[in-house]
Amino acid sequence: MNVSWDHHHGRPGSPIHRLGAAPKLGFALLLIVATVLMPIEHRAWFAGVAGVLLLTVLLSRLPLLFLARRLLMLSPFVLGVVLVNAWQPAGRANWLALAVKSGLCLLTVILVSNTTPFSQILRVLKSIRVPSLLITTIALMHRYLFVLLDESERMRRARASRTFTQRRPFHWHTLGTVVGQLFIRASERAERIYDAMCARGWK
Amino acid sequence: MNAIEVNNLKYRYHDGTEALRGVGFSIATGECVALLGPNGSGKSTVLLHLNGILPEKTGQKATVKILGQPVTAETLDTVRRQVGLVFQDPDDQLFCPTVQEDVAFGPQQLGLNDAQVAERVGKSLAQVGMADFGRRATHHLSHGEKRRVCLAGVLACDAAILVLDEPTSDLDPRGRREFKALLRQIPATKLIATHDLELAVELCSRAIVLDHGEVVADGPTTELLNDEPLMLAHGLERPHILWHNHPH
Repeated sequence: MNVSWDHHHGRPGSPIHRLGAAPKLGFALLLIVATVLMPIEHRAWFAGVAGVLLLTVLLSRLPLLFLARRLLMLSPFVLGVVLVNAWQPAGRANWLALAVKSGLCLLTVILVSNTTPFSQILRVLKSIRVPSLLITTIALMHRYLFVLLDESERMRRARASRTFTQRRPFHWHTLGTVVGQLFIRASERAERIYDAMCARGWK
Repeated sequence: MNAIEVNNLKYRYHDGTEALRGVGFSIATGECVALLGPNGSGKSTVLLHLNGILPEKTGQKATVKILGQPVTAETLDTVRRQVGLVFQDPDDQLFCPTVQEDVAFGPQQLGLNDAQVAERVGKSLAQVGMADFGRRATHHLSHGEKRRVCLAGVLACDAAILVLDEPTSDLDPRGRREFKALLRQIPATKLIATHDLELAVELCSRAIVLDHGEVVADGPTTELLNDEPLMLAHGLERPHILWHNHPH
């Protein structure tokens, strides 16, 4: 069973998709570093970046609702920091800057990752001499994320089919068990994967 | 010369479970042998010993010989080239983002150059009928497709001995039929651990029955599988194909 996860690639043939992974990643990195370092007074820069990103969204035909969902999914980390800042007397001036900067950076990352196949991103990393151990780790993480998500979804369904009362209060105990189970299964699978790699000559 | 020789193989898991209590058999080059037995009888544990994944520490006394060579820490590299292991869960084996990269993994480990690797990948994907799937993501394949890619990944290493763990479990009837036909075409020495008794009858001339970590029977497949008391005593059964001989 493959659960289809919230994943969207927009229109695969668009100019943004056709652009090579290397220039795309390079440009995104530049954009992010510049946005982070730019003082908030330079409003024109931020407006410009927003414009470029908007153009990218339109060209790649990624659905707006999907992008909004993705941003929202990633924002708790950012929102936490922003809120903490907003409540501090010295941080009041900063919180808007933080929100704008992190919002633009997140959107950049989301756009790149959803218009570039993952294997191409890895190839770029390899070509700029990122240590191969790190690349292997990232590749494995991406590969097994889906297996683990499938596994948790299967467990959820199995649990749901044995849950007879509709409005059952949330149980920390159940959550703990599920997380524990997933951890054990993941670590056992990791061992089997390592065996399978060794069987094909991995050293 | 025997392709596989196992003598008095014993193994105990970390938790103290005695998985193997002195298993012994030998398989001649070119033979296709079924390894049968109920769940937990030690089939997979035996298979993991055949290319030195188990035991974790190879002792002085080698109990497994591959093509006449004892499996020790020194011979591990050679042995892993000679024995291709296809795992039960394809998701354990397919760990690369794309099919092509996964099949290329073995040949790359062998130290072949890019052109040779590409040639091997193309050849083995074609051999399993997946030539057009090279650029696909491994996690988006169906179970049957994953199985084929796993087999291609092992074929690409050009092993003389193929060891398969439950190759047809979770496959639909067509997938099972096609996978069996595929296996039949591969000339390597084969050891197949399976619960698919029809596969054993169709592909393997000889069967070894394992139970509680011991070999309880070893002989011609049809003879063993026709022995109903023996089958029932070890969690197996006389397969349909031997009751009456007509195609379904």
